[in-house]
Amino acid sequence: MPDWGRTTLELMVQELQHPVRLDESFDRRVMVRVRRLYAERRRRGIIGWLGAAANISRRPAWAAALAAGVVAVISVGMFRRPPHPMPAGQTIAVQFVLVAPEARSVAVVGDFNNWGLGDTALVAENHNGVWSVSAPVHTGVHRYAFLVNGKQWVADPTAPRSAGDDFGQPSSALVVEASTQ
Amino acid sequence: MRTRTARSFLAVLLVASAFRSTEAQDPRLSNRLDAPTRKALSALVDSARAQGIPVEPLMEKVYQGLAMGADGSRIVVAVRSLTFEMGNAHRVLGAVATTDELKAAASAVHAGVPAVELGKMKKQSGLRRSLTLPFTVLADIVSRGVPVAAATNAIKSLVGAGAKDKDISDFQRNVSVDIEKGAQPAAAAETRAKGAVAPTPKTENREHE
Amino acid sequence: MQGPTGMESSDAALVARVLHGEVNAYSALVSRYRDKYARYAVHMLGNREDAEEALQDAFTRAYRSLARCEDPERFGAWLFRILVNRCRTSGARRVRRGQTFVHDETALLNASEEHPAEQTMWREEIERALGELSADQREAFLLKYVEELGYDEMAEITGVGVSALKMRVMRACDRLRVLLREVHSA
Repeated sequence: MPDWGRTTLELMVQELQHPVRLDESFDRRVMVRVRRLYAERRRRGIIGWLGAAANISRRPAWAAALAAGVVAVISVGMFRRPPHPMPAGQTIAVQFVLVAPEARSVAVVGDFNNWGLGDTALVAENHNGVWSVSAPVHTGVHRYAFLVNGKQWVADPTAPRSAGDDFGQPSSALVVEASTQ
Repeated sequence: MRTRTARSFLAVLLVASAFRSTEAQDPRLSNRLDAPTRKALSALVDSARAQGIPVEPLMEKVYQGLAMGADGSRIVVAVRSLTFEMGNAHRVLGAVATTDELKAAASAVHAGVPAVELGKMKKQSGLRRSLTLPFTVLADIVSRGVPVAAATNAIKSLVGAGAKDKDISDFQRNVSVDIEKGAQPAAAAETRAKGAVAPTPKTENREHE
Repeated sequence: MQGPTGMESSDAALVARVLHGEVNAYSALVSRYRDKYARYAVHMLGNREDAEEALQDAFTRAYRSLARCEDPERFGAWLFRILVNRCRTSGARRVRRGQTFVHDETALLNASEEHPAEQTMWREEIERALGELSADQREAFLLKYVEELGYDEMAEITGVGVSALKMRVMRACDRLRVLLREVHSA
């Protein structure tokens, strides 16, 4: 380092080298994204993805089965129906979207994830104020809501309102159909 | 008699275990609910199962209450209300109704739709068709201000005309947008229902003009 | 994350497991590198929120391209390269949005328990001075002196030649000297 300011710069570097700790929820947020990518790959078929791996010497037996799996993604409106009729009890991937440019965090909780109890809340990711998260939801009718900044309950403006005793907080209704009407 | 007593006893055991097994799966449930609340909820679950009402929606209501910070007594009130509404729905829709239909019907009843109207719709649509979505939309438009009678008539006309769930979903979206733009709720529902069930006009052949 | 033998798994072992479909094994890589690279992102971008977003983005991109990681044993270095790029993109976005380099958040990160006020002020001065550097100079300075990389490593990560990197580091130091001298003589 140059002469003057060597001590000052060294002190500066010393300060900057202090470790920075991130919250453990960071890991969870990353894994939510990663698992979504994983699910998408399974939907599209993972043969190309695994085949490109230079250090894979064999393809797992279940890869072809996974490639044949069907997970439909429908993201518009309150009514979710898979492209092919599916037996009851199946899940389809549903995308939840909330426009909230001022929010610091957005999570989705509802009947499909025990309303976030047991750390099951779906953490949305922010893209320039548009928060979204996709998750598999079982067929059926579900009440749900967005939880903004960990404390403000917001209904989904694109979905029907859930009528029922909602403890004074807004919530929405989602219908996931099992078969073609 | 002895057999019936044994069966009833078994049913009570199974029912009582429904709430307790959920507690066991999520110990935080027992940590977050005081003893009187747990006792009251167990009794409600018992009663629901005895009436043939599915208990899963009741547990979902408990979770919702906990997540939203409601106290025990508030949760009990909500679960009791839901049990009552589902019971009404169950009586008119019968044993053929699915859990989801009952949940959706309970929403409509909570919004103020007489259960008997839901029964009429079920008869009209036949056994094959699930009315989960029509009931959900009915509850929604009533909560947006469409009078119960107008809302019920609109949904009935859609179901009666064989409208698909997708069409009814579109109807809900159109009505809510119209209301947001200032339309009278009843007028919005009636107009959109007419449009949804109107026959498609024949395309005139203008080639010779 | 421990493998079957109970020993901590190497990066290569974890990468192999992820590529075989064991997606949850990726969380071990996230835990392993999260704090280490958060430091760079926070100082480069000047605020924790942008840093977390850039780091999340880097981990996601790394997962997406995992099959193209040529040397899984050096997954960390490969990930760092992705992060450096993300920070460049994020920095450019901030310039377009007209945001200034925010100091307050990072000033709180490592407040000394003994002399919190002084330490906070010193940290603020440092961050402000860093913010006055150009993005290229700041990047080079942080990689060289804070992350303690060699110039060859820096060249591999940034794609910039060694001579240019040396020049950027020198200019960064010159500028910081001036800035910190101004602060102390004020």
